[in-house]
Amino acid sequence: MSLPAAAMNVERQLLLSEIAEFNAAYAHCIDDDQLEQWPEFFAEDCEYQIIPRENVDLGLPAAIVFCDNRGMLIDRVVALRKANIYPAHYSRHVLGAPVLLDADGRGLHSQTSYVLMLTRMDGETRLFSAGKYVDVMVRENGVLRLKNRSVVFDTHRIDTLLVTPI
Amino acid sequence: MNAPIQWPKAVNEIPKAIFTDAALYEREIETIFHGAQWHALAHRAEIANPGDFKTMLLGRMPVIVANGEDGKIRVFFNSCTHRGNQVEMASCGNRKAFECPYHRWMFRTNGELAICPGSEEFSPGFDKKDYGLRELRTAEFCGLIFATASADTPALESWLGAVAGTLAGALGGDGRLKLLGYQKVRYASNWKAYSDNDGYHAPLLHVGFRLLGWQGGQGSQKPTPNGHLAFESQLKPVVNRDFLKDPSLIDLKATDPESGSLIAQLFPHTVITKHMDVINVRFATPISVDCTEVHYAYFSHADDSEELVRHRIRQSSNLLGPCGMVSMEDASIFNRIHIGSFTPGNAKFQKGVKRTDEVWFDVKQNDESGNLPKWNYYCQLMGFQRSEVA
Ligand code: FES
Ligand SMILES: [Fe+2]
Repeated sequence: MSLPAAAMNVERQLLLSEIAEFNAAYAHCIDDDQLEQWPEFFAEDCEYQIIPRENVDLGLPAAIVFCDNRGMLIDRVVALRKANIYPAHYSRHVLGAPVLLDADGRGLHSQTSYVLMLTRMDGETRLFSAGKYVDVMVRENGVLRLKNRSVVFDTHRIDTLLVTPI
Repeated sequence: MNAPIQWPKAVNEIPKAIFTDAALYEREIETIFHGAQWHALAHRAEIANPGDFKTMLLGRMPVIVANGEDGKIRVFFNSCTHRGNQVEMASCGNRKAFECPYHRWMFRTNGELAICPGSEEFSPGFDKKDYGLRELRTAEFCGLIFATASADTPALESWLGAVAGTLAGALGGDGRLKLLGYQKVRYASNWKAYSDNDGYHAPLLHVGFRLLGWQGGQGSQKPTPNGHLAFESQLKPVVNRDFLKDPSLIDLKATDPESGSLIAQLFPHTVITKHMDVINVRFATPISVDCTEVHYAYFSHADDSEELVRHRIRQSSNLLGPCGMVSMEDASIFNRIHIGSFTPGNAKFQKGVKRTDEVWFDVKQNDESGNLPKWNYYCQLMGFQRSEVA
């Protein structure tokens, strides 16, 4: 990653604030438990994965969540609501500022750090996951959507289980 | 001071206190993990190339599983033969040699000590040959690398006994695997609760199976006298495929539905499973009386097409394990068994229990009594005396 150009032009600043706003809405959607809306942040033809940084560094493809279309995102939410048994919890995402890496024919390439705090029913808030989003966003009818979100997490020793998306 | 643990007379009961007793945990580390059992530490596919290595814990003892430049896999204590410093810190990697940074002793990948600076001033009679990394007994089965710190452990084949067939099947038949990646997790649970999953719970706990109309087909469950357990069962077609927007996730592409689910649970706590098209080895490590770490390693087979590998990646990343849509419930249960075990009394097995005076081995697929031979073995191994009275 290189230093941002000294003279940032206005168009770039607008894009960055748009991405930041998108990410903030995405995080609040999860943290406010509006998970049924969460797949709408993605393009129909999309990829979403949550993958340990350790696997990425080793060039290994297995993830802890890997969806390669929007339908699979919906399946994850339905499983969480109807099938899965897990400790009830609140999620709290804290996001860093996005970095715009590239804008090309495929979309906007950006990267954003996150920390995810989890509060289970004992009331204690624990750092559950730290990592980054590696994103490609596209514009559909003027609205940004995720073509690709790779959640690469540093905290590769998971505490018990992961059910709620990051 | 805790009251001594009373092992009940009935073979279908176990004291809850064994999950929470810290002194017992210390004895288990010595007797079981440092004792006369084989422990699966790696699959050859994780360290496929000369110089590849992986570090693990065997009980509390740090070890290095190393593929030597000569292509032979060895297991060493991860402790410098000079003053005992931990030699390797990385969880895995590739090295030409292992160098201890403290005084720069350098070990070849076959364990031999190659360099020890200043050796002309070492004690009289010092010989490099005596200072190779200390090697443990190892054995291999379908690429799965086992080690033991004890000279008394029986040969691997006889230790595996009747579970060997299921184990081979779960490892793709011939063990020619390729590593797809890891999911690593810590459960707030004693290792024995982690490894006590049974044949009774699956259709009840895992609601996903019910919603999909996906009840298991015919199958078998075979316990061994030394605490292993093998499950084999058919996978019937899913009735409610429409429940999923993308049902291709649960297709079987390389697996015969007749033996769609194979699970080998090895004493004390390694699980190897081939379920649908997922090939998964669960390397577990006891961390403390109330914490168990598990590394879920996922594999493809060497003969897979590119398309099949992608399918395995999709299934590996979505179905089983601590984040899997159809089985993460197990993770919740491990933690909850642990919390519940701080109450007095015994846990009681019921499903499939035909008698309570001695253990037997012909159990049915969905019995929980398949776990009883293991508990009986554990009881004897740890030197508990059964109560005389019920
Ligand atoms: S302790 Fe390893 S070189 Fe001295
Ligand atoms: Fe289960």
